[in-house]
Amino acid sequence: MSGPVSRNRRLGLAAVVAAVALLPALESDFQRGLDSDAVIIALLVLSVVVLTGFVGQISFCQYSFAAMGAFTVGALMDGHGWSFWLALPVGVTVAVLAGVLVGIPALRLSGLLLAVLTVAVALFTDRFLLVTGTWDGFSGGAVPWHPSRPSLLGAPLTGSYAYYLFALAILCVAVLLVWNLRRGRAGRVLRAVRDSELAAATVGLDVTAWKLAAFGLSAGIAGLAGALLAVRIGSVSPGSYDFLHSVQLTALATVMGVSAIAAAPAAGIATVFGPELLSGIAVSSTWFPLLIGTALILQLVLVPEGAVVRTRHDMARLARLVSGRRGRDPAIAEAAR
Amino acid sequence: MSHAVIASLSGFSLLPSYTVIGLTLGGVYALAATGLVLIYRVSGVLNFAHGAVAMFSTFVAYQISVVAGVPSPIGLLAAVATGAALGFVIEFLTIRPLAGRPPLTKVAVTIAWLLVLQTAAGLIWGSTGYHRPVQLVGSNGFTVPFTNVVVGYDQLTIFLVAVGLSLGTSALLRWTSLGAQMRAVADDPQAARLWGIDVDRVSAASWMIGSAMAAVAGVLITPLLNFDTYSLTVLVIDAFTAALIGRLTNLPLTVVGAILLGLVQYYPKAFFNQAGLSELSTFVLALITLAVVFRPGLAASRGRG
Amino acid sequence: MTVLLQIDGVSKRYGGVQALNDVSFRVERGRIKGLIGPNGAGKTSLFNCVCGVLRVDSGHIRYAGRDLHGLAPHRRARLGIARTFQTLELFRELTVLENLMVPVDAAARRGMLADALRLPRARFEENRAGERAHALLHFLGIAEVAGIPGGDLAIGIQRRVELGRALALRPTLLLLDEPAAGLDSRETAELAGVLSRIRERFGTTMLLVDHDMSLVMRVCDDIAVLDYGRLIAEGPPERIREDPTVVRAYLGESAA
Repeated sequence: MSGPVSRNRRLGLAAVVAAVALLPALESDFQRGLDSDAVIIALLVLSVVVLTGFVGQISFCQYSFAAMGAFTVGALMDGHGWSFWLALPVGVTVAVLAGVLVGIPALRLSGLLLAVLTVAVALFTDRFLLVTGTWDGFSGGAVPWHPSRPSLLGAPLTGSYAYYLFALAILCVAVLLVWNLRRGRAGRVLRAVRDSELAAATVGLDVTAWKLAAFGLSAGIAGLAGALLAVRIGSVSPGSYDFLHSVQLTALATVMGVSAIAAAPAAGIATVFGPELLSGIAVSSTWFPLLIGTALILQLVLVPEGAVVRTRHDMARLARLVSGRRGRDPAIAEAAR
Repeated sequence: MSHAVIASLSGFSLLPSYTVIGLTLGGVYALAATGLVLIYRVSGVLNFAHGAVAMFSTFVAYQISVVAGVPSPIGLLAAVATGAALGFVIEFLTIRPLAGRPPLTKVAVTIAWLLVLQTAAGLIWGSTGYHRPVQLVGSNGFTVPFTNVVVGYDQLTIFLVAVGLSLGTSALLRWTSLGAQMRAVADDPQAARLWGIDVDRVSAASWMIGSAMAAVAGVLITPLLNFDTYSLTVLVIDAFTAALIGRLTNLPLTVVGAILLGLVQYYPKAFFNQAGLSELSTFVLALITLAVVFRPGLAASRGRG
Repeated sequence: MTVLLQIDGVSKRYGGVQALNDVSFRVERGRIKGLIGPNGAGKTSLFNCVCGVLRVDSGHIRYAGRDLHGLAPHRRARLGIARTFQTLELFRELTVLENLMVPVDAAARRGMLADALRLPRARFEENRAGERAHALLHFLGIAEVAGIPGGDLAIGIQRRVELGRALALRPTLLLLDEPAAGLDSRETAELAGVLSRIRERFGTTMLLVDHDMSLVMRVCDDIAVLDYGRLIAEGPPERIREDPTVVRAYLGESAA
């Protein structure tokens, strides 16, 4: 897990990223908008991977964390005239704080009860906090916030391709950071906590701090995605961040396999281009959540470890078969028994 | 809080009639929560799709009674049948094959069902706009003697039916042989199997009965709220909150919790004119309950199921 | 000889049972102390009180002159108190090597950001943790299973890995909860050798709970006996073996 990444794999990844960055140059503005959405959804799924894949906690309020980022950025930019570059870190910080706050009960509650609590948090956010009249200084009230797109080092991000590249760059950085965490100490520690909290505490791990850190990180990534979505659409309204969005996100991430970072881009591509494909074959795109739900049911019953993880296992097995290598040294296999 | 929140002392005069509404709502929550607890106790699955099942079944009643104009009791029966059928399908096809898997995997399945039912209902009946509710009883009523509080016959019926069914379920668990089997399975499925109890059949029965109760709750609650696909699906959080008060196991306490929830949701509306107060109350009550009722220690927190 | 661990009038009641009843004894630095008694005598409860998983009702636990009262388990671990578990608590999904790296991770002072950015310091500490874990695996003679997930190993090896994980903490005090349970006589003899080598190499003080009398008598410098939460005897192995109270309470039971 912590071994050096092979050169070939690095080159392969670089090629994929380059292709993903360059291909939209040939596309229409509308298509590029969808591409940006795919990137933002990938970021949201990444936040699920951090929480569910690393800590083993299901959350149904990831879009509420995204809303923290989006509405903070909306309120500060549109309401107070802040620059995006100042509003963004504040938005992410607010989301991190919200995540830590939701994480505090997680220290006492079982995963099941915390899942219930996240539903309550989601409904509290989208049906109370963001409702007109509760706190219009944050939610924008009857008129949604309209944050405009910023420019980066003098280059405006108003063009669809420029914004896509910007979002993609952020996604790549986030994936890289999470990946580093996962294959290093944090990944090890969090898997240890998931295996046995008791043992983790007795070898000196501050289980509380690690869990809260993971909640904060997950919420922060979701908040970042929310902020990006706010300026991508150019308007922030509560309907885009409700409970059902969170449910759909969690379902999607689970279908792809929450333990794999690769689930994030895969899910991003699926959510944005799935509905497009559906409308291509004359089925309304509103069917898409139905398909996700069905896929999740089938997957949980038939392939419980997740599509991406399963595919990777199958590929690995295939590779072993092809190369004819033995799986394990016989001496070790014996010791393992 | 912004200035849009209007506080007024005149709210006190509204309390008696809000008590009536709160009790009615609480009765429906009791019914939904009892179904939820029944399923949880017997099969060990916390059903996040409980509200979605209620919603879908209620739309079947709507289709039959409001759209097609068939008398509403038949619509109600159709909803019950739909609920029971959904409960059976969910248990038989997707819960039973997951025996021995972690609780969160089963939660994920119920979430998938939530998404499927929600989207399907949206496709069939439209996901935007409110629908006309199924009226079981006329909305005229009577004045409580010596007061000026008006109680609708519909409200009274809803309350009596809901609380009656909830308490009936407790009685069923306590005094019938199916109930005894359910309790045995709830306590220890392995042991129940050794005793010759058909655990799968009992588990399916709990899902069918529990989901049918959700269906009745759904039909009863539609006149009390904006009837659309979303508001019924999120009924699950109210059921959860009531069930938490009953520690997810105690049915009478769950009923009490549900009625408390109904009142707590309605009373603030007498004083503040503000959207989302019900959700705020639910959230606060759920938090308090979780803080007070559930506090496992470090060693107990490694539920791997 | 200085006292490392001092148990002072400790009582603990839970589940309607008086698990520990006014227990007092001390463990001297550098010694191996045995703690024996019939099942349910309170041995594991005492361990849980020392490492902070359970809170004592009354009494004091002093470690290196410091009262441990109110200190969380992970803080006690950082003070040098390590333990193994009677019911194995290995990180089952982590490889053996990773199992031994976690205690080093726990002690590391760098923040998450250093890890996320893979700063040189993070890489350096990561390598050092790996090297230390490898060295320990060699010392314990289980280097060949380094890459295998903990949950896939035989019980005997799992116990050895747990010992390694405890040692990775570089403990001053090592609490061993039935390390010989589930081991055959050859493995138990090996374990006795390993424990002696640990003391020789690291000077670790140990408190050893086990039902295997041959192990306890062979490696322990002195022994405390618990029965129904009370300390009923304490002394060197040869005296405990002859003590009539102990024979009645403990050996009598296992003979029956």
